[in-house]
Amino acid sequence: MKTIEWGFLIINYLFLGGLSAGLFFVAALATLLEHNGDRPYARIARYGALLAPWPVMLGCFLLIFDLGKWYRFYKLFLHLRWVSPMSIGSWLLLIFSGISLLLFVASLAKEERQRLFQKLPASGAILRLLSGDLSAWQRPIAALGLPFSIGVGIYTGVLLGAVQSRPFWNTNLVAQMFLFSALSTGCATLILVLALAGKRIEAVEFRLLYTLDICFLTLEFFIVLPYLIHGELSVEAVRESLQLILGGPFTLVFWVFFLGLGLLAPLAIEVREMAPVLLSKTVAHYSKPLAAVTALLVLAGGFLLRYIFVFAGQMSAFK
Amino acid sequence: MAARQKRYALAIDARKCINCKACSVACRAENRVPLGKGRNWMNEELRGEYPKLMAVFEAEQCHHCADPACVRVCPTGASYQRPDGIVAIKDTECVGCRYCVVACPYDARFFREDRGVVEKCDLCAKRVDRAELPACVETCPSKVRVFGDLNDPNSKLHELLSKRQYRLKKPEAGTGPQIYYLL
Repeated sequence: MKTIEWGFLIINYLFLGGLSAGLFFVAALATLLEHNGDRPYARIARYGALLAPWPVMLGCFLLIFDLGKWYRFYKLFLHLRWVSPMSIGSWLLLIFSGISLLLFVASLAKEERQRLFQKLPASGAILRLLSGDLSAWQRPIAALGLPFSIGVGIYTGVLLGAVQSRPFWNTNLVAQMFLFSALSTGCATLILVLALAGKRIEAVEFRLLYTLDICFLTLEFFIVLPYLIHGELSVEAVRESLQLILGGPFTLVFWVFFLGLGLLAPLAIEVREMAPVLLSKTVAHYSKPLAAVTALLVLAGGFLLRYIFVFAGQMSAFK
Repeated sequence: MAARQKRYALAIDARKCINCKACSVACRAENRVPLGKGRNWMNEELRGEYPKLMAVFEAEQCHHCADPACVRVCPTGASYQRPDGIVAIKDTECVGCRYCVVACPYDARFFREDRGVVEKCDLCAKRVDRAELPACVETCPSKVRVFGDLNDPNSKLHELLSKRQYRLKKPEAGTGPQIYYLL
């Protein structure tokens, strides 16, 4: 009896978990890219760190809410099973959420921190420690969290890819596809925030974010491409499952909305915006509205990738 | 000499099946399976064209795989395999994530919305432990189902599998299924 067990809660979680991973990754990178005590990307690091914990924590609530017995979720943390991607993922999420919260606190300005901790009961050693000045710890926290952000980004793909009975998922490319999609959605969120931040555009910030996002989207594209080619050259079950996107219910949403509008269109806009820097080494003048549109397209693309994979994967099977 | 480790399995002689569905009814009664779900089910197929027709009835349920994907992906260890090969679920450990339902190549598991946990065929492990047959096997009027221990050379199952040709379903999924469909 074939049923679709994982629906929109899981899709949203996969998107939100990836988004946090991307936000943290870019923020950590910006934190670590200090140049002779000069911090050209301080705003990226700060916004990224302030935003990173929340999507993944919301996603975790969705995950727990999706369980048949939500109050048994603690049982996930009574076991560590190396062969179960979900078990590894639960631990990664727990550790990553903790580290991203730590970076959040470390990135608060002094008055913000005081305002926040006034409202909390001022007892307990941990709270006292957190209410102290952690800003000197930003770089170690960022460096510590970096591998965990990659872990959270990649595990969502491993979760699906490790299911041997679903030919649509069971390739070695889904994990990387999800990772680079995750990193690009985090990057896009920061582009969106900077575009809406009101102040004038700092060319140096946009250069970093666009460069990173071009890298992520290009990598994602060159993973989607071999995914399709290898699938078509693979065994019958895989070829049949690819029909879901090559001539089935997900064809339109895959080619037009995900690959076209969600991946290639923003990639083209970003390359166009970067052209002056790439070609003539001059300073580019970035357009704010265009940046916002690009970011929204990338975010929609990241969501649609997960939508397509969660549903199409569950519909695929050996005959 | 120590007793040999048991390995329970099922053979299905589909040509004998008359599609009475007594196996499904017996399972439903034995395991209190709600309507609309099933631990076992019938695959019905019509082949050929009139007047050369054939109806194929093939019973299916959990294949109690040698290398079960459901057990591997379970994050809490609720899905487990007994030493005698039976794949079962520890009800109290299941969190209802449904990863196993997604991972089963045979779609042999289902989610009980009312109980919030996953259920499946456990070859009536409680009956088997009392040296009784699984309910579906016991009730089958045309003796389609043969339950036994693969490691017992005196069992009917052992004899059938050494004398008859058989087919496994979806062995390419790589889980080592243990329902033997006799040809």
